[in-house]
Amino acid sequence: MPTFKLDGKEIPFETGDTIIAAAARVGIEIPHYCWHPGLSIAANCRMCLIEVMPSATQRSPLLDILEWDATLQDYRTVRKPKLQPACQMAATEGAEIQSNASENVAVARKAVQEFLLLNHPVDCPICDQSGECKLQDYWLEYGRFKKRMGDEPVHKPKAVVFGPTIVYDAERCVMCTRCIRFMDEVAHDPVLEMRERGNHNEICVADGHALTGHYTFMTEHVCPVGALTTKDFRFKARVWFLRTAKSICQGCATGCNSYLDYDPRYNRAYRHRPRDNEQVNKYWMCDEGMLSYRRIHEDRVSEPRLQGKTVSASAALQAIKQAFAGVSPNSVAVVFSAQHSLEDNWALRELAKTLLGTTSFYVSGLPDGYEDKILIHRDKNPNREGVAALARDAKSFADLVTDIRAGRATHVIALGGEAPLDHHDGEPAFEKLQAMVTIAAHDGPLTRAATVVLPATTWAEASGTYVNAKGIRQVADKALEPIGGAAPAWTQIAHVARSLGLNPQWGELKQIRTRLSSEVPAQTATSSTQTES
Amino acid sequence: MTQAAAFPKKRATPFTPVVVKHAERSLSNQSYIPEIIRGVGESMRHFFRNTKEMWKNDRPDPVTQRLDKGITTISYPEQKRPYPERFRGLHRLMARDDGSPRCVACLCCSTACPAQCIFIEAGEYPEGDKRRGYERFPVRFVIDELRCIFCGFCVEACPCDAIRMDTGVHATPYDSRDQFIYDKGLLMSFAGRDGSHKTENPRHEPGEKTHPGIDRERSH
Repeated sequence: MPTFKLDGKEIPFETGDTIIAAAARVGIEIPHYCWHPGLSIAANCRMCLIEVMPSATQRSPLLDILEWDATLQDYRTVRKPKLQPACQMAATEGAEIQSNASENVAVARKAVQEFLLLNHPVDCPICDQSGECKLQDYWLEYGRFKKRMGDEPVHKPKAVVFGPTIVYDAERCVMCTRCIRFMDEVAHDPVLEMRERGNHNEICVADGHALTGHYTFMTEHVCPVGALTTKDFRFKARVWFLRTAKSICQGCATGCNSYLDYDPRYNRAYRHRPRDNEQVNKYWMCDEGMLSYRRIHEDRVSEPRLQGKTVSASAALQAIKQAFAGVSPNSVAVVFSAQHSLEDNWALRELAKTLLGTTSFYVSGLPDGYEDKILIHRDKNPNREGVAALARDAKSFADLVTDIRAGRATHVIALGGEAPLDHHDGEPAFEKLQAMVTIAAHDGPLTRAATVVLPATTWAEASGTYVNAKGIRQVADKALEPIGGAAPAWTQIAHVARSLGLNPQWGELKQIRTRLSSEVPAQTATSSTQTES
Repeated sequence: MTQAAAFPKKRATPFTPVVVKHAERSLSNQSYIPEIIRGVGESMRHFFRNTKEMWKNDRPDPVTQRLDKGITTISYPEQKRPYPERFRGLHRLMARDDGSPRCVACLCCSTACPAQCIFIEAGEYPEGDKRRGYERFPVRFVIDELRCIFCGFCVEACPCDAIRMDTGVHATPYDSRDQFIYDKGLLMSFAGRDGSHKTENPRHEPGEKTHPGIDRERSH
């Protein structure tokens, strides 16, 4: 692999790489606003300027520059090497590049930073980007100057509503055009554009259009400053109070890698944002996925229920014991959930196969929905592939309804409240059942039909493994503490097993993971480095 | 007989040593009776003098005349020592001219607070308000005065001069814990030490004549 030298360090690159991309790959950040690894190169912010050292046979291209001389109290002409934007400069074999090591680069960065902040309102206390703003970060790292301009800054439109989700503040904008390029190149909906020049430069929405669609939140996410804010997160929290957990989006079978930002003081999630993974979602997520954190707190089953009434856990387990006493294994139907993790489904299969001895398996989950060619998958369940790997012969939810009608299933143990039914209509066939146990985190048709409901944790409250549509196995970490009497579904399933007089062989997540890695076929798993990126 | 001075007028220094004389072992000293009478007499002298002063209402100010030979205690809470100019008392929230809070709910104070006693819930101004979209305001602003350590970091952190500790009132004792939870209304009702809500540092809203420089209405 060819290499070039950055501040004396050898950086490998592939043909066609720019200097900034090659450096970013090995974890060296050259400061930038407009460059984004997933977008085209604009080279308009000038923050990534670097000095290319001339080779032995070359002369450095020099520019005449006016420099203020404090002793002369006047400007004087000096010659300085011409700096190059690292985002546009192609890496070449053996090139010698200076970034942090160069005095000229340090001066240029400071000047660029001062220029970008010239008309900035510096309203950090009321800005939602505050705490994760590139202007703040780079000012601390490369700026540290005081404002020299005494004039009133140029005022530009504030709080411009771009669409149902995004609000724009032109005064905070650094005109990096990342949002414009994102809408053009990734969302293929070129509604954003730039108008005016210089101080009056601003981003606007094309006449007669609004910033709508399925990828509007990403414009805010790619914005390096506080110019674009989402109505959802706006004014809700300060980012330095939030903690972050690596998560997996539960919105569809794509299984986008995400960060879940939550406030541990209130045990509440505030934001879902993409985590880079070249294999799955690259750098992006859809609006529905970024809003899916809300589901953690909606329609929750927090306490055990018996016939719709809240009861203690022991009373619920006692009722299960009575309902399943003397029932033949052939009439027990087990319903897996494509909404739940591999661990939860594995525990249920273990209970059914090894302990109960039943083999009538079904799969439930949310019905199919909108799909596109970018990220959004038709299947709205995060773990259908995982369930398929665990129980290949599992029948569909429609088959379950048929079998209940035919009287082949009289008792049901179900995971997850969701079913491919209208969310508010129950299924009349379930009234024929003698008993139904549902272990669920959210209310749904299956919790309403159930005799006994045991509260489970959502994906944010327990660590879990999910297999996406491509068959990549990914882990979502625990973020929040479980609410009420909720526990991971595999724990609840162990409780059910014990109440039925059986002896479950799993007590810890680690044990399940060890068993899973040997049982679930290897082709569904990828190496950990790919999912950890 | 020379009495041993417990508090000699001249302090002992290396240059003027004071020899402490011991009391003689005499009957009057050993029996303590004359000394007890003298002690009770001194107390009674103070008692009658204080009563007379209170009766005649010419009691010296214990704070300004603290070096006076007379009374050294004060009748708290009727009498209070004046607190220093920069005493950090109970918090108050400053208001703008229209009565709305100056606070923009930036949470800088609760970030700076080492006792984590400030809770703020931010909200947006209603539709049609001039400030909607530009600023937010505190829907709830609660200080737990029992948890507060009166360090004043919140006042320093505030970019809007919205929170102050210049009420001149120290933490008040109550009989239940929930009374120490001060909400926005209560905090805004407190006045400064001079009893007014006026400030030397008024806000200059965009559009007002006092607003410096240009704004959206007046350009170059």
